[in-house]
Amino acid sequence: MQLSLKEILPSYFDVARKNTSEVWGKTLHFNKGEYIKIVAPSGSGKTSLIHFIYGMRNEYNGHILYDNLDIRKFIIEDFARYRKDQVSIVFQDLRLFPEQTVRENIELKRQLNPFHGPERIQEMADELGIGNKLESKTQICSYGEQQRIAIIRSLMQPFDFLLLDEPFSHLDNENSQKAMNLMLEESKKRNASIIFADLERIDYFPYQKIYHL
Amino acid sequence: MAISFKHIKPLLQTGTNTASRWLSYIGLGIGVLLLLCSIQMYINIQQMLKGNVVRKEGFDFISITKTITNETMGETEKNLFHKKDIEAVKTKKFVDDVSPLLANQFRVQLSAGAIIPFSTDLFIETLDNDFIDTVPPTFNWKEGQIDVPLIFSSDFLEIYNVFAPGQGLPQVSAETAAGIPILITCEGNGLKQTFRARVVALSDRINSVLVPKTFLDWANKTFGNNNDISASRLYIKTKDANNTDLLNFLDENNYKVNKDKTKFGRVKQVLQGIFSALGIFGLLVVILALMLFSFYLQLVIARSKDNLQLLITLGYSPDWLSKNVSKQFIPVYIGIVLASLGITSVIQWLFHRFAMYQRPEITSLVHWSIVLIAFALITLSVFTNYRLIRKLVYKMF
Repeated sequence: MQLSLKEILPSYFDVARKNTSEVWGKTLHFNKGEYIKIVAPSGSGKTSLIHFIYGMRNEYNGHILYDNLDIRKFIIEDFARYRKDQVSIVFQDLRLFPEQTVRENIELKRQLNPFHGPERIQEMADELGIGNKLESKTQICSYGEQQRIAIIRSLMQPFDFLLLDEPFSHLDNENSQKAMNLMLEESKKRNASIIFADLERIDYFPYQKIYHL
Repeated sequence: MAISFKHIKPLLQTGTNTASRWLSYIGLGIGVLLLLCSIQMYINIQQMLKGNVVRKEGFDFISITKTITNETMGETEKNLFHKKDIEAVKTKKFVDDVSPLLANQFRVQLSAGAIIPFSTDLFIETLDNDFIDTVPPTFNWKEGQIDVPLIFSSDFLEIYNVFAPGQGLPQVSAETAAGIPILITCEGNGLKQTFRARVVALSDRINSVLVPKTFLDWANKTFGNNNDISASRLYIKTKDANNTDLLNFLDENNYKVNKDKTKFGRVKQVLQGIFSALGIFGLLVVILALMLFSFYLQLVIARSKDNLQLLITLGYSPDWLSKNVSKQFIPVYIGIVLASLGITSVIQWLFHRFAMYQRPEITSLVHWSIVLIAFALITLSVFTNYRLIRKLVYKMF
């Protein structure tokens, strides 16, 4: 499995951005199993890039190929399969169901294409320190807790690529490391790649490639 | 593994607008009930009036004339059926056959010879044998033959027997009438010829003096001078003289019909009109209720938009979501239509038992087609519902 970015540039960006960026306007190939770090200051289009790859937006020029297929040509149902089987994500804005409990939020993703049994929800939640929150409504959890819920949710399905968009913005170092370790462990189980976009370099992410957006 | 809808159901904001939801349920129920009841009553009328007509050989024979009005009184042409009128009647699917009642176009005189000193000017007519109820094998004529068989209306014999005593004439039975030698004299084109006629049968159906077609064709040619086959009366052979399409056709063309034979049909026509109108009204209410329901659904989808959108973002298939969201409403539709069907059944039972005193023509059970329509309505509701939800969900992507 390979994810390729072919000279992509958001249609609302100036073409000159190609000269200063290591991603925009360049051709890049990400292979399964690779850890990729994308360092990007605010406003450089980090979230846009993650959304383009996930197929949520398409206001860009150039092509994104998944397994040599242009995702722009995907029909709606192709995207459903892509998100269920191949690409998982932790959104910067988390996107949880506030009225549902923590467990329900995670279960909604797990039942779609279960990589783990339901018991693994409890194990992961314990590991990240939110084991006692599973039956609480998500809206009463702190932002840091919600970030951990979103991380656990992203690990419930099979994937070839895990997209992370500032996943630790509200976590302290210790909790961030725990979460990172869990994600590394889970991606190893799937021989998957992690594409980690953040404001700055993080030492505990063992990336093989780094790009400045 | 099948994905469960259990966790998704709470994400659908069916909302606090319970009143509008119940209003649309009730509206749909009333519409379906009206529709089913009207159709059931329509069928009841059909069944009850079917058996009330005297049928011969499985067909009804009715005679029609053009209505003579003050405007058309002097214009014979307008009051006759011409070839194209006859063809027009013939092509109708509710008409099995048509025969014009052709009349003599020359002077005919009848006398009973020496036995009864009676003589009168007469009209003779002819009709296809198929249309006559009593056709003995002797009812035929060949050119050169002096004997002409006649078929008389039994009404004429009755009328004769009424006025005969007053005139000092003997009354006659049907058998005697058949034995009386009658002379008919045809006159025209400067020719005059007398034939020996014999009444070979009496007819209950045709109010006329009938001769074989071969005779009248020959006589019209010989003594008459008009070759047009226009007739003032047409006989129609039909499976059901009470068929409302037939009656509507006759009304449209301003044709007058033997009222006795079609009076049940007239009642049927009016009742069917009433129940058709009620049925159409019911259908409109169903459409209105479905529209109301679709607004309610749109509201539900609009309220749940964020949740549904997030489910699609997480990888839920819009197709699967549309199917499962619409499935939530299937029990509601089934419930409403089945309740209406139940009420229709009760009404039919009460109607049969108490209003119709268990007449054998109809049953206490609803007609099978009502059940079929009920299921068709469920299918229609489920289908329109699914299409709407699918459209709305796909728009979210």
